[in-house]
Amino acid sequence: MNDNPNYAEAFEELQQIVSEIEEGHISVDELSEKVKRAALLIKICKAKLTSTEEDVNKILKDLDSTETEE
Amino acid sequence: MPEIVDEKRVFSLLEVTTSIQKTLAIRYTSSFWVKAEMNKLNHYPQSGHCYPDLVEKTEGKVIAQLKSTLWKDDFNRINQNFLNLVKSPLKEGIKILFCARITFDPMHGLALRITEIDPVFSLGELEREKQESIAMLKSQGIFNRNKSLTFPLLPRRMAVISVQTSKGYADFLKMIEGNPWGYKFFHLLFPSLLQGDKAVESICYQLEQIRKVVSHFDVVAIIRGGGGEVGLSCFNNYALSKEIALFPIPVITGIGHATNETVVEMVAYRNAITPTELADYLLQEFHNFSQPVERAEEMLVGKVKRIVTDERQHLQHLVRYFRSVTDNVLIRSNHDIRQQARDLFKQSALNLLRQKQAHSSVVYKVRSMALTLCNARRQDLGQTLFMIRKDLTSFLKQDGNQLANVVKTIANMHPENVLKRGYSITRKNGKAITRVDEVSPADKLETIVTDGVVITEVQTIIKSS
Repeated sequence: MNDNPNYAEAFEELQQIVSEIEEGHISVDELSEKVKRAALLIKICKAKLTSTEEDVNKILKDLDSTETEE
Repeated sequence: MPEIVDEKRVFSLLEVTTSIQKTLAIRYTSSFWVKAEMNKLNHYPQSGHCYPDLVEKTEGKVIAQLKSTLWKDDFNRINQNFLNLVKSPLKEGIKILFCARITFDPMHGLALRITEIDPVFSLGELEREKQESIAMLKSQGIFNRNKSLTFPLLPRRMAVISVQTSKGYADFLKMIEGNPWGYKFFHLLFPSLLQGDKAVESICYQLEQIRKVVSHFDVVAIIRGGGGEVGLSCFNNYALSKEIALFPIPVITGIGHATNETVVEMVAYRNAITPTELADYLLQEFHNFSQPVERAEEMLVGKVKRIVTDERQHLQHLVRYFRSVTDNVLIRSNHDIRQQARDLFKQSALNLLRQKQAHSSVVYKVRSMALTLCNARRQDLGQTLFMIRKDLTSFLKQDGNQLANVVKTIANMHPENVLKRGYSITRKNGKAITRVDEVSPADKLETIVTDGVVITEVQTIIKSS
């Protein structure tokens, strides 16, 4: 299990857990663990929807550095 | 007038140019229609005049070239015609059909003065250019290249190619920045001209810039708007279309209300037509991601609660069932035990009775057999006794006979009887004499007979031979 999934992985894993639970493929023993994991994945997904870590300055710096290389 | 210098007629430059001007004016009296490629428009906004470069090419090589002039008023009129009919201003790089006359100016030299340009011809040319772009992209197999990329699950990071001040860009920003769901987009503007002759070069340059930092972006959005339907022909340009088709991340377009889709829009990953529709599309992508997440959250809360409730009910049901089953088993076992106890008791009594009967039967048999045996023994004993008695009697009888004989013999042998028969006993000194040696002459001897004793004196002794 990836402890630091990107949002695509988080989304996919979440969908997997949802379908497992919906189809009743999860025993009560696993349920608590799965719910905890799903809650974490939901948090990750929601964070990705409402935040962005891109930095304009970083991009402009990258642009400059490629230009000086030319 | 020419002057004579060292016997040579020498003309001034102005005399030459004036002569050419005159000659040409006589030779070319009317205007005529010419077909040529307008390489450069060379429009000077301050004066409003244009000085288009006209060329003719064969297989890409220039074989004829001439300058031309397009005065401000003619340009404005022609440009308006183009905008009305071609939906694009007069642009360079295409073939035009124009009406012109030859002019010669001593200062500026030979030129064609353009008085009219046929927009219908250019329309055909533009369409031809568009079809050529499509055909070339298809023949290279890159027409659908950008469309075949995988669209990111969340198009969060956008490189925007637009005009800072355009209405379309403002509309787009307003929609994605102020979205009521709180979705956060990262976008960076790469400003570019989006219409007219310089647009292709400008957009291509910015695409190149974006390519350098492409890892920071999920999509490229080309946003135009507010320009109406004019100036879109640059989006049919082959070089630009190819650049977009080959771009490493999806390019999405919101270029404007084109009647006909441009080649750029055709090869882009998605053409949203207008900037607001483009914003809608991006928000929808966020919804597509967000909704399953929301649903997952609701489902987890609802479904998990239900699973736990269901499990609890199931467990309670099992407990009840277990209790009822065990109760039943207990009752049945109790009943069975009692029944078995009864059966055991009954069976034991029966067995006891049977044993008793068997026992008394044995006793009876033993007794009867003992009796039989006793009787048999008694009979045997009687028999034996009888036999013994019989044997004894016979034995006694036999023995009696023998005894009588013995008695008789014994009686016969009694001295008295012996004496009676004539025998006598001679004794000397009380002792019976059996041999002659025992007596000597003159011995007195007693002779006993049956009825007395005779005393005698021995005279002679004769010994028998």
